Formats: sequence, C-alpha cells, structure tokens
Amino acid sequence: MRYYSYFPGCSLEATAVAYGLSTQAITGALDMELIELEDWNCCGSTPYGSTNELESLCIAARNLALAEKTGLDLVTPCSSCYTTLNRANSQLREYPDLKGKVDECLATAGLEYKGTVKIRHLFEVIFNDTGLKTIESKVMNPLTGLRVAPYYGCQLVRPEPSFDNQQNPQSLDRLIASLGAEPVPFPLKDRCCGGSLIIPELDLALGLIHQLLESAGSNGAQCIVTVCPLCQTNLDAYQGMVNSKFGTSYNLPILFFTQLLGVALGIELQGLGLDKGVISAEKVLAPSVTMAEPAT
Amino acid sequence: MGTKAYLMVKMEMSYARDGHTDGMKELKAMPEIETVEPVSGDYDFVIAATVDAPVRVASVASEIRAKEWVKNLDVLKVEPAAPNPFLDEVCSTPGGECVRWCVQCGMCSASCPNVGKMDYSPRKIIALIRAGRRYDVLTSNSMWVCASCYLCTVRCPKDVKPTELMHALERLSFHHGLRHGATSTPAMYNAFVNSINNNGRVHELGVMSKFYLKTNPLAVLKMIPIGLKLLSRGRMPLKPRKIRGINQLKTIIEKANVLGGAQ
Repeated sequence: MRYYSYFPGCSLEATAVAYGLSTQAITGALDMELIELEDWNCCGSTPYGSTNELESLCIAARNLALAEKTGLDLVTPCSSCYTTLNRANSQLREYPDLKGKVDECLATAGLEYKGTVKIRHLFEVIFNDTGLKTIESKVMNPLTGLRVAPYYGCQLVRPEPSFDNQQNPQSLDRLIASLGAEPVPFPLKDRCCGGSLIIPELDLALGLIHQLLESAGSNGAQCIVTVCPLCQTNLDAYQGMVNSKFGTSYNLPILFFTQLLGVALGIELQGLGLDKGVISAEKVLAPSVTMAEPAT
Repeated sequence: MGTKAYLMVKMEMSYARDGHTDGMKELKAMPEIETVEPVSGDYDFVIAATVDAPVRVASVASEIRAKEWVKNLDVLKVEPAAPNPFLDEVCSTPGGECVRWCVQCGMCSASCPNVGKMDYSPRKIIALIRAGRRYDVLTSNSMWVCASCYLCTVRCPKDVKPTELMHALERLSFHHGLRHGATSTPAMYNAFVNSINNNGRVHELGVMSKFYLKTNPLAVLKMIPIGLKLLSRGRMPLKPRKIRGINQLKTIIEKANVLGGAQ
C-alpha cells in the first residue's frame, strides 16, 4: 500500500464531483491510499497569481506548510492545482526575498514552510507508481473496441519538464491501450480548452473547444478522456453551446481517466459518478459493461 | 542615465575556428551585455552593452579584452541609453525579468491559441515593452486573453517565459488600476480572488453570479441552461464551503497586504 497526501482542489467539490468520486473509488484496487490534506484551501489558480504575487504565494504556501507536516508527496488530480502549487514551490526557491516575506506571513499564523514538499499529479502517480503492468493485470472489463481520444490538456505536461513529452505526450495513450481500448490519433491532445476564460471570454473558449471536438471526432473517437476538471467541464457542459454556435452535432462523452480506469477495473459503477456527465457515456460504455443503473 | 556602448571584438586566430560559440556564450553571460552578433570581416562580434555610467564602458571593455581568446577590441560608438523606466519596471517584476533576452523570433505568437483575439501578439508586446510604450501595453487585452497553456514557454528558444510575463503584466495593470474595456477577465479574476479570501475555497456559482452581475447581467440568460444541467447533476453547490482555518488564512493575507510587493 502506498500513501499520499491528497489535495482534491475546489472543482472536485463542484463541477468535477465525478472526478473525486471515481478517484476515491479506484484507489483501493490500485493499492494506494489518498489521505486528504486537513483543511486545505484553494491553491489560488491563475486568477490569484495574475492579480497579486505575494498573496497568491502565501495562500499556496499555507497548503504546502500543512502538507510538509505529513511528510508525504502531495497528490492532486487537478492540472491547475498541480501547476499552481508547483509554480509556488519554484517561485519560493527562485526569489529569496519573496520567500522571506511568505515566511513572515506564515509565521503570523503559526506555520512554517521549509520547501520540501513534492507536488505530483494523480495521473503521473498512477502511471509511474502503480504502473501499466499492474493496471493491465487488474483489468476485469477490457474495453475492447472502444475508441478513445486521449486529452492531456496543457498543464499536465507544461510548463515544467516532467514525465512525458511536453508537446506530444504518450502516457495517457498507453494507459488507454492497457485497458484494452483504442487510443485514436488526436493531434490537439495537448492544446488549450480555454480554461477559466470560458467565463469572461466565452466566444474565444467556444472556438477552442470546437477545434478540440473536431479533432477528436474526425479521428473516430467515441469519447474523450481527460485528466483535468476544467477540461472536462468545458468540453462536456459547453458542448451543446458549441453545437448551436458552429452548427455541429457532437455528442462526445467526456470522461475522467479515473472513470475509464474504474470501468475497466470492474469497480461498482454507481461509485464512479458516470451519471454526472451532461453528455451521457452510457451508450459508448454499454458494450464493455452492463450498466446496472441507467445514468439519469 | 544609462550608457549604451557598441564594441567590436576580434578573436585570436587559434580560437576563431572552433571557439565561436563558446566565445559568444561567455560574452552573453556578462550581465552588461545585451546582444552579441556574429559578423564577418575584420571583426568576429559586435556587442551591445548597457552600463549605468560612461566610465563603466572601460571596465566592461577591459574585462572582455582580458579574455585569452580576444585578440583586440575596439569601441565603435558610445551613446546615452534612452531611459526606459517601463522596461525597468517590467524587469523588476517577478516573471518579467527575461524580456531583454527576446530575439523577436515570433515563436510565442505562432504558438498562441488566442493570438487572434489579442490587441498585440506576445512578440509585439515584448517589442512594445522595450520601446517603453507603457500605456499601450498595460491597457491592452493581450495578457487577459492568455489562457496559461504554456505552449510559448516550452517553445521559446531564449527562455523568455512569455506566460509568466503575461501574468506579470496582468499584475502591473491590475495594481495601477489600468483596465482594458474590451475584456472582462479582470472582473472574473477579482470575483475569483474574493471568493477565496472570503471562504478559503472557490465557490463557482458565487464567482459566476458576481461576475455576470458586474459585467453583463443579461448574459446570465444564456448561461441558465448550462447552470441547470450542472445543478441537476449535483455539480453546482448553492452554498460556499468555508474552511475551518478561514481566520488563519485571513491573518496570512492581511500580513501579505502589509508587507506589500503586490506585483
């Protein structure tokens, strides 16, 4: 059993609730335990870092200080939390005067951060620590014939060089293949969905989502699998709006990689949050499993 | 006021054949040196250096002359550098330090998914900063339509980190109260930050309602179908969730406010 400190992030309590459910549902089968960080706060995401540098580092550092006490790697399923917390870590390393100020702020709250926490993305942990061989050996429902577009989004592989190619990543393709499904070619697999700009710059983001759906759809994908809560919400909830704006008729379910894993591992379907998607995944998953409860 | 000097360097014959790149690297590593251009003819390099006073040109020149691979060095021209407080301001903001390294290749603009919506492309933004066009840069919408996809950052051949630069410009614009009329991103960011400061976590419904009320209340109508779909699937909690340590978090933020360094 491997233990990790767990930082779900705000989205997993709201729009990406299915990501949280499916993550918790599969950890047992993968011999890992995620211990939620006690009373964590928002990482700050891009908006905070774009308005106030010191404050944004401080609120990220509160989480890092809490995580440091556990002595475990801090794992987050959210690509934005992953990038933001990692950025805070490197800013604190690179700017000693900012680090001094952050230390002073944390001290007023009785906290201290030495800078030792390692922040990891849940996908990277499952890919590297669990490994594809183990996963393959645990597949109960091979997803034979299911054509899946692997959507990495931006902030899993960028900006810091990590575990996969930064412009043409392959890890999610390989994970999909290890579940018996077929990863389809997806040239825009690492491109932007618009992120939080979906709110202030709706038309811009809809254009990006349209391109992504077009790229996945034209390559024969039956569904798109993502590792990021923002990507899922943008592609799932706004798909209807894309269809009416561009005169298209996409009906592509957008699944979290944890949901796909759960189905393949034979985890009870009710626990995977499959009914949370705006676009139902029932039809495309039906050949692989008999859905016990129809998604509502 | 700063001084700009153009220096010409000739390499020793024995180094000239293989040592070109190493020599260039060594010169570029000197903080005073802005650019090193290889040239053919009587000299091997033309160097542009900016120093804080004319007398410093001599010390830079002798430092270069002291390198064993340098045969001779001549000063082509010394002139007062045009003061550019905006460039200094950007360079002293975390994330903006690297704009001097940019070679204007345009890789950032070519990689940007949102460049079509920007008043100025990322490459132009950097050119404008170096031209001292503070108002044009800080009131443009360019940084506010950056989605932080970091494609430019991993592709930039000079490690300028344009995404970080965009965030630095957002902070400068925000801090000085300069906003562009054609983007409502700052209003959304504001609502987002307030949500964190009040609850410790982001309450998506709260952020969205505040944002639409402030910018375009009628746009809510367009969003209702999506909101209802998310609501019926339990993806849009009506009430914010407050962390237990909210007072601790507020203490930290207040202290940060006092210490300043807002950008």
